[in-house]
Amino acid sequence: MTASGSRRGFLLLAGSCAVLLAGCSDALPRDSQGALRRATGGTLYVGASENAPWTEFDSPGSVSGTEADLIEGYAARIGASIHWETAAMSDLATMMTDNELDLIIGGLTADTPWSDKISPTRPYQESRGVDGSTEKMVIGVRPGENALQVSLERFLAEEKGEL
Amino acid sequence: MNERGEPAPERTSTSGRDALPEEQQKILASTIRFQWVSIVVLVVSILAVAIVAGSSQAMKVAWLEDSMSLLPPIAFLVAARRIRKPSSREFPYGHHRSIGVAHVVAAASLLAMGAFLVIDSTMTLVKVERPPVGLIVLFGHGIWAGWLMIGVMVVTSIPPVFIGRRKMKLAESLHDKVLYADADMNKANWTSALATIIGVLGIGVGLWWADSIAAIVVSISILHDGVKNLRASIGGLTDGRARTFDGKEPHPLTEKVEEVARSTAWVADAVGRVRDEGHVFHVEMFVVPVEGAVVTGQHCEDLRTALSEVEWKIHDVVIAPVAEIPAEQAFRAD
Repeated sequence: MTASGSRRGFLLLAGSCAVLLAGCSDALPRDSQGALRRATGGTLYVGASENAPWTEFDSPGSVSGTEADLIEGYAARIGASIHWETAAMSDLATMMTDNELDLIIGGLTADTPWSDKISPTRPYQESRGVDGSTEKMVIGVRPGENALQVSLERFLAEEKGEL
Repeated sequence: MNERGEPAPERTSTSGRDALPEEQQKILASTIRFQWVSIVVLVVSILAVAIVAGSSQAMKVAWLEDSMSLLPPIAFLVAARRIRKPSSREFPYGHHRSIGVAHVVAAASLLAMGAFLVIDSTMTLVKVERPPVGLIVLFGHGIWAGWLMIGVMVVTSIPPVFIGRRKMKLAESLHDKVLYADADMNKANWTSALATIIGVLGIGVGLWWADSIAAIVVSISILHDGVKNLRASIGGLTDGRARTFDGKEPHPLTEKVEEVARSTAWVADAVGRVRDEGHVFHVEMFVVPVEGAVVTGQHCEDLRTALSEVEWKIHDVVIAPVAEIPAEQAFRAD
């Protein structure tokens, strides 16, 4: 009786903690500059540098490739239209530092040398690198825009089937 | 009996761990076991914090602080091994000072690390580095990695508090200053954990600078520990007046041995010089014999034994019979 009572109490406690945590996990994190709130139902600023098959520039002003498809899927999820910027990765990194971009694509990997200016997401897929090693593919997010990062990472994890 | 046919004094040949009475030896042995336990607990915490640290500066500093808190227990264990050696012609005062050396080394590393982290954390603030903290997938559930950081900080902040309290008691019974410094750091560990948690929650609500501020606060506490410990340890090594294990007041034993010496029948006046060798004290007692008294070796020997018996900490005693108290060597209590 007491054993089952204390067990029920424990479960109740654990359950309420989980509910509390789940409740909070929706509230946190927030962006430091509000990128997700602005992009939801608005415009998502995405930079792309050409790197087939992840990103391809077929005609001026349009970006295709597997990562472009992913971003379009994500933009549709949050009801955003995409404003594309196409440039070399170094220029995109500078634009991101100047808060002109929300996301960057172009075959970035988890060990990207740009990680002080671009925050990599969780790897959404693995692929073979040029030297035959396994590369973890990521998308670049503006550092500190943690709501956007978590929202995109959740989308990528769902696409991958992890969630 | 020694080679001159005199009875060998009971305590002269002892040093190292033998200088400690049975009770203190037992405490020392259990402290050594406990230090190993605390090292294991710390290593587990360090690993856990390292795994979840991510890009948060506050987490990085918390991780380094945990790593630095390994130094005093290691210093203690090295010193405890070293003091086993008996005194010899080469080391006539024994090896108890190794406690002080261990203390200086630990304090200097704390100071250096604290200074580095204050600068490093300030730079993250100056350069407006917004810490990215993303999603983590655990057992098929996606949660914000910040929650995991907070969880790990809460869990790892609890054991050091209890470890610190236990070490504090041991430090008092052993009169061990490294152990005291160690216990003091462990006890204060939860405040840094709290600062780190506030920093991570700050990131969560979009206040990027909260992370840097928390990191600076924790770095300053490391720096403060370094300064405090360095001051205390250098005081010990430069033969400052023997103080209580927490360094807060002059040790009462100095006056106690002087009283014992003065109450001896053939002694008119006595002033002592007491220094802390680490665990044990070294006493030089200047004594002025009463008018007409004949001072023999046996008299001095008896007084030496009497002083040694005041407390176990009084370990190495030298009696210096003088015509008057040398003003430049011995100083009376204020």
